[in-house]
Amino acid sequence: MRLVRLGVFAARLGVYPPCILSFKSMSYDVIVIGAGHAGSEAATAAARLGGRVLLLTSNLETIGQMSCNPAIGGIAKGTVAREVDAFGGVMGRATDRATIQFRMLNRSKGPAVWAPRAQCDRALYRRAVRRELERHPSVEFFQGTAAALLLQGERVVGVRTTHGAEFHSGAVVLTAGTFLRGRIHVGTTTRVSGGRAGDPAAHDIAEQLEALGLTVERFKTGTPPRVDGRSVDFSRLERQDGESADYRFSHFERVPRPEQRPCWITWAGAEVKEIVRRNLHESALYGGEIAGRGPRYCPSVEDKIVKFPDAERHQVFLEPEGLDTAELYVNGLSTSLPAEVQLEFLHAVPGLEGARMTRAGYAIEYDYYPPQQLTPWLEVKALEFLFFAGQINGTTGYEEAAGQGVVAGINAVRRVRGDEPLVLGRDAGYIGVLIDDLVTKGVDEPYRLFTSRSEFRLMLRQDNALKRLGPLASELGMLLPDEERELERRLAAERDLVELARRTVVSVAQVNGYLESIGERAIPEPQRVAELARRPKVSLRTLLTAAECVPPELCDDVWRSAEIEIKYAGYLEREREAARRLAELAGFELPADLPYGTLRSLSTEARQKLERVRPESLAQAARIPGVSQSDLQNLVLEVVKLRRAVA
Amino acid sequence: MLSDVIAALATPAGRSALALIRVSGEGAHTVAGTVLSPFQREPPRMARRTRAINPQTKELLDEVLYTVFAAPASYTGQDLVEIGVHGGLLAPAEVLGALFAAGARQALPGEFTRRALLNGKVDLLQAEATADLIDASAPAQRRAAINQLDRGLSQRIDALRDRVLALEALVSYEIDFPEEDSGPVPPERIGAALDELRAALELILRTAGEGERLRDGALCVIAGIPNAGKSSLFNALLGVDRAIVTEIAGTTRDAIEAPATCGGFPFRLIDTAGLTQSGDQVERLGVEVSRRYLAAADVVLYCAEAGREMDDEERRFLETVAAPLVIVRTKIDRTGERRWDRQREVGVSALTGEGLAELREELARVAFTRLSCSADVEPVVTRERHRVALSRALEEVNAFGVARERGLEGAVAATHLRAAVTALEDVIGLVTTDDVLDSVFSTFCIGK
Repeated sequence: MRLVRLGVFAARLGVYPPCILSFKSMSYDVIVIGAGHAGSEAATAAARLGGRVLLLTSNLETIGQMSCNPAIGGIAKGTVAREVDAFGGVMGRATDRATIQFRMLNRSKGPAVWAPRAQCDRALYRRAVRRELERHPSVEFFQGTAAALLLQGERVVGVRTTHGAEFHSGAVVLTAGTFLRGRIHVGTTTRVSGGRAGDPAAHDIAEQLEALGLTVERFKTGTPPRVDGRSVDFSRLERQDGESADYRFSHFERVPRPEQRPCWITWAGAEVKEIVRRNLHESALYGGEIAGRGPRYCPSVEDKIVKFPDAERHQVFLEPEGLDTAELYVNGLSTSLPAEVQLEFLHAVPGLEGARMTRAGYAIEYDYYPPQQLTPWLEVKALEFLFFAGQINGTTGYEEAAGQGVVAGINAVRRVRGDEPLVLGRDAGYIGVLIDDLVTKGVDEPYRLFTSRSEFRLMLRQDNALKRLGPLASELGMLLPDEERELERRLAAERDLVELARRTVVSVAQVNGYLESIGERAIPEPQRVAELARRPKVSLRTLLTAAECVPPELCDDVWRSAEIEIKYAGYLEREREAARRLAELAGFELPADLPYGTLRSLSTEARQKLERVRPESLAQAARIPGVSQSDLQNLVLEVVKLRRAVA
Repeated sequence: MLSDVIAALATPAGRSALALIRVSGEGAHTVAGTVLSPFQREPPRMARRTRAINPQTKELLDEVLYTVFAAPASYTGQDLVEIGVHGGLLAPAEVLGALFAAGARQALPGEFTRRALLNGKVDLLQAEATADLIDASAPAQRRAAINQLDRGLSQRIDALRDRVLALEALVSYEIDFPEEDSGPVPPERIGAALDELRAALELILRTAGEGERLRDGALCVIAGIPNAGKSSLFNALLGVDRAIVTEIAGTTRDAIEAPATCGGFPFRLIDTAGLTQSGDQVERLGVEVSRRYLAAADVVLYCAEAGREMDDEERRFLETVAAPLVIVRTKIDRTGERRWDRQREVGVSALTGEGLAELREELARVAFTRLSCSADVEPVVTRERHRVALSRALEEVNAFGVARERGLEGAVAATHLRAAVTALEDVIGLVTTDDVLDSVFSTFCIGK
């Protein structure tokens, strides 16, 4: 099967090791363990490719559960949600059905970095995910906790549950989130086994994986307390309403938005600082109970106060948990202090003086597998036909998990069928950046996406996710007929719009009034719209309106994408040039069995790192920290030497 | 190809008391051990005396001193042996021949340093400095090369790169963290970081003129009307007779170039034909050459006989000279006129040597204003390659400033900063291409 190439380096095909077993005896193509954000996307992607899927989860009621904050999207993450949607994924559609407040972050900073974010009703979100999964007839569900992987040699052939049920499959995708040997901490005395408050942790499979020789490490993360909205004094809070913008994450579906709800802003000041400082020794994080590393960009209130003692106050957002509950999520005060201390500092927050705490915040530590143990298509190198996605790879975030789920689901099916694996390039999408970073550089704290992670920040936007990845999804066979038509329609619409802007000329009379009103230089003679729209402040839509030739019925994505392509043509071309250079390096493939340990021309550090990562190409090798330019030069020479020796 | 055993003479061929042969590569110790008898590897880094023999005939070739280095603690990062042999044409050649017979091959130009670079022993700038150090003829050149070898310039460029990254980080913070407690980055903070970065880049670029002059020698053109004593002065500054000196005006018909050291700095002295409208075609060509040199000159040394008033034509000519000018009053032995302390005028007698020392100092001061002031040579940009890359970085940084002023969004403007980082990495060789490497290495001679 030939895959489309987007840009020059969107998708690359590697080579699987030969298939040992026929899959006649198997009842499923893919078993997905876990039905969170990674698992539901993996199951959907596999089903869309026509695979028979078993979704195995400990609790069918918590499919698509948002374990932490009730929001989808944000910086870079919003773009990922749309990339997932371009593959026909669940996340975008579920978000649209659950959005109770919407905001476009970075709106003041220009459309290239706009970041959609939606507050979601947790229950609506869960329901929407379940609904999406059930739309695919080839997805079967079973409630049970995976106890062990069934193995034949180094190949995974199925799963056994804690109740002894055995399921056979061609491939297994493990998306266990924080459940593997998860341990919940509240203060220094309360420590319970659990994968999420209220759900038990999984131990057997974690022990099996460790016994099989996988490297395992621990991370931690935390969540804040929640309060009863009926006990909050809203008159003391700043109300933050969402935008009325008619935005949808999904490219393919346009569902009506649920009723909208505001968020509320308050702050934690000196008194909170005092209480936290006084009780620091009782924090699981600071009392020495937790060894794992936590995320720097999502610090607990303990972290904020210890590491930034000069900050006078910290913002606190009260986010609605859903439409049919008054419960509020206290974003910004994640903590592992004892419950009574949490209540004490909550009462020191303006507006929460009389608040009743409904759930205490807690820290959770869990197993993750350093992701250099994975191939760029997310298969475990040491255990064939086993794929990992989501938090067990050291990431945080629903969107990061979902993106990995899509790639793992696609490749699980392709692996079983003997097709070449799909590797997303760094210039194809944030999902490509994410997975490449994981398998190449590994993680030393829970990994979250930022735009800064990508060298192609202008190319990877939320408005052009479908344009970037839709054709690939279509080529892979993941889109339904009406989705195919929508893709075609949008691609054609953008082409036509750019062409229209190139063709259309505006007169002096038509635009000078507008130009003056936005403080722009007037034009002395008629000019082409595409020329004039290059000015930063000038709007393409306004120009075409002035020229009286606005095409009807164009969606915002098409307008935005076309406008950015016109405005930043030169800059985008530079990024594309960089992408082409990267593709050249990526074209130099490194043999999978290269004996790095014996390559004496490489530095010791480079030898160890390369041995561990086993990069697919020179481009990937170049991104491994500790591999220097001279190591790369020598690597080229060694490979050339080996090739000659073979020939 | 990078690990096989190579050998070459590290000192110039020809008559000398001693010569040094280097052997490097996997198996260098074995190869050397075949030729040297007795030979011991341990302890390394200790000079030992032994005999060099022809491995086939067992004939004694030379009594030598050798030092063994074990990988990675050697110049190349590989196993290495240095053999000090007797100089002259014969002994080094015979010992080398024996080493080749024992399995070594003749090293290519710059191959030892290339291996050092590929083994991470030196960075690209240091590799260039090694070449500069070997080619250095003036003391200041040597100081600059040693400084660069010491990673002086690399560190400065590293620091610049960190600054660009820090500035980009400010822009990225605005994009990636829109809802944080500390709020947006104040534009003044980005402006200040940008100004500092720009100043730092300009500062290091300002050393480029003198730096490149330091490497190549400052082009000092001696001009003046025919028979003003230009060739005598040229010879006097060189200390040897290179130009033909006669009393007949217009003897020098072509430009003559020779290297000279003045005040510790390197110069390329150019003796030119006199500047007159001559009917003689050959001389006219010479005059044409002079004008071309004048246009490229770093300093122009204008000769005029002492005691003679300059005519209008000469004054007009002096006004056209763009380069810094030093006016020399020649033949002061004839006029009896002593020192000329008028500004930029030096009295010299090529015959008696009077005034020459002052003239040399003046030339150094004019051509190397910055460098001659500091006792120690600070890291300077000594190659066009560095200057081009640094200018590119500065252009990108400036473009970032313009983009911000024009109101372009941060993500768009920041692409300039990424390009600036790439430009700086090109200088240090973090992301160098083979082409750059090849051109760097083509300037090496064998055995370095």
